[in-house]
Amino acid sequence: MRHPIHDDLHNALLAFDEEEVGRLTVASIEAGVDPLETIDVLTEVITVIGDRFGTGELWLPDLMRGARSMNRAMPLLQEEIRSRGGTPKFHGSVVIGTVFGDVHSIGLDLVATLLAAGGFNVRRLGVNVPADTFIDAVRTDQPDILGLSALLTTTAPQQKRIIQHLEEEGLREQVKVIVGGGAITQTFATEIGADGFAPNAHGAVDLAMNLVAT
Amino acid sequence: MTQRGFQRRVPPLEILTPEDVAAIKGATLDILKETGLTIEHNGALKLLEENDCIVDYETQRARFSEGIVEECLRRCPSTFRVKARHPDDDLVFGGNTVYFMSSPGMDTIDPSTWEPRRPTKDEYIDAVRVLDALENHHWFAGHAPYFGHEGVPEVMKITTSLALRLRHTTKFLGQGHANYSWKWDLRIAKAVGAEITIPAFQIASPLAMSHDTVECGFMALEAGLPAGVDTGPLFGATAPATLAGALAQYNAELIAGLVLIQLKRPYSRALVWGFPNALNMRSGEPAVGTIANSLFIVACNQIWRDYGVPLRNTASTYSKSKKIDFQNGFERAMPAMLSALSGASSVHLHGGMYGELSHSPIQSVLDDDIAGMIGRFIEGFDVNEETLALDLIHSVGPIPGQFLDTEHTQRLWQQDQYLQECADSLSYPEWIDRGKQDCIDYAQGRMNDILATHEVRQELSATESDEIADILAEAENFYIERGDIEAD
Repeated sequence: MRHPIHDDLHNALLAFDEEEVGRLTVASIEAGVDPLETIDVLTEVITVIGDRFGTGELWLPDLMRGARSMNRAMPLLQEEIRSRGGTPKFHGSVVIGTVFGDVHSIGLDLVATLLAAGGFNVRRLGVNVPADTFIDAVRTDQPDILGLSALLTTTAPQQKRIIQHLEEEGLREQVKVIVGGGAITQTFATEIGADGFAPNAHGAVDLAMNLVAT
Repeated sequence: MTQRGFQRRVPPLEILTPEDVAAIKGATLDILKETGLTIEHNGALKLLEENDCIVDYETQRARFSEGIVEECLRRCPSTFRVKARHPDDDLVFGGNTVYFMSSPGMDTIDPSTWEPRRPTKDEYIDAVRVLDALENHHWFAGHAPYFGHEGVPEVMKITTSLALRLRHTTKFLGQGHANYSWKWDLRIAKAVGAEITIPAFQIASPLAMSHDTVECGFMALEAGLPAGVDTGPLFGATAPATLAGALAQYNAELIAGLVLIQLKRPYSRALVWGFPNALNMRSGEPAVGTIANSLFIVACNQIWRDYGVPLRNTASTYSKSKKIDFQNGFERAMPAMLSALSGASSVHLHGGMYGELSHSPIQSVLDDDIAGMIGRFIEGFDVNEETLALDLIHSVGPIPGQFLDTEHTQRLWQQDQYLQECADSLSYPEWIDRGKQDCIDYAQGRMNDILATHEVRQELSATESDEIADILAEAENFYIERGDIEAD
């Protein structure tokens, strides 16, 4: 039997009402509702939103607003799990950034937001990130996935450079590298030795899910 | 002599009321004053601080004073000349002159499959030679025709391409930059006595400028070159989804670059352009080829004519089609016409396909017809005693009179027309007899003719070639030392 507040949360998330999702999440915690059950409800709705985007019923702004609403609730619920002595569960961890020489953030924001909403623990390194910063983050965070974004044809080679650095530092085997951006193709991704490429942000979530499952 | 381009003699297309223009210009000033830009360059911030702007070094944020914005806009020349490798290819930007230029692509297109792949060096040269030959292509955009070719290390592609273009064309060259390529490109241009224009101050929407781009801008200004300011907002992503708001922000970004130019080197020649696009709300990619982009561009041209700074239209004519087909035709021809009508100084057109992801010399040949038709249209037609031809009409009179065998027709019939090179205009029987050829077949034929016969207006001298080779070798060593290229 679902808690009544979960019906309200279901409707609020489906209406992309970020404020209401936040308020109801706090209310569910204060009412002593199991945070794992709340996460299940939210995941169920965000999956519906993703499916509706996939069928063309919803658009990118809808998807992003749904993800933002989801991301408003998740840290609160994860904190509640910790306070109960548990450990939040993620599908995997991701370090992501836009490569050096490229200050474009929209693709990065889209993918990072959707990955977080999809149940990944995401650390954003920002834009114009030097290769060494990516290497340091892989060494210290030990993420499952490293995401490299490059919009420009002129900066896409930085993705190759970072993969080469990972190999030189002996870190390549411990992380899956995914690449994306306006100028990136599957052919290019294969050429530079990336583990995966998705042509859009929504596809990046499926890609990440598949990579952590292998 | 210069490249004549086309002279717009028809009144410019305007879609904004004076009140709209004032509101957008006011919003632009408000953005510059209240929010300002993040500029990751302390030298630029200091320059702005010394000129009445409010600077926060910790956040690298600069807020612009209205006075300095107006003063710097006044300092921008409304018309100016740029020097190509041959004086007949010099350009004069501004006024009512409209130039058409090429647009670049990462890949070339195989016309038998329409699939993209990296061009070879020979294909790169062929594409340059085609553009050099086409009469209505007046200058090369940065990176055009391709972002490089096979067999060259990625970091060397921009600079090697410049060297190759200079060898095979004398037309004026725009030049992109990345990975400090400008260090070499400015010297190569100087070696052949040509100017190039670089998107020196390249804004990252919303409202940010990186260190590298400011460095490049200051170097271009020190070299005395015309400086470009470039930005690429995506409506609904890196700018408001509404065109009015996106336009206010776009103009603020371009003006911020102009302020830096005019403070660093007053009265410098400056050209502004951008890559404004709606966002594809399915994929998150730029939605090129939409009519919203043309609405934006036409309004933009109206406002920048008011500012008095030449504006080049970049994104207006890109198509999302992967083929040379009907979609490709209407998505590029309609916006190109609207750009030219509304007062663009230059219009991107020749060769670019699928955004900036591919380029085709066959498309370039077809685009030359689009440019020719548009250029002919914006030049209007003369109304005078001779063109009214009243005496002739009176003398010919009603049927059986006719005009075909008159001296007037024989002398003037082409004056108000543009005759396409690659359009099918045969009768059905002729068309069937000649193998049912279409415009793509004609364009391929014309391309082959050009490649078989065209010669560049002026070869590089041995001294120039040697100097370019030395600079390329120096550049290669620089990137080897940086670890960007593996030494042999």
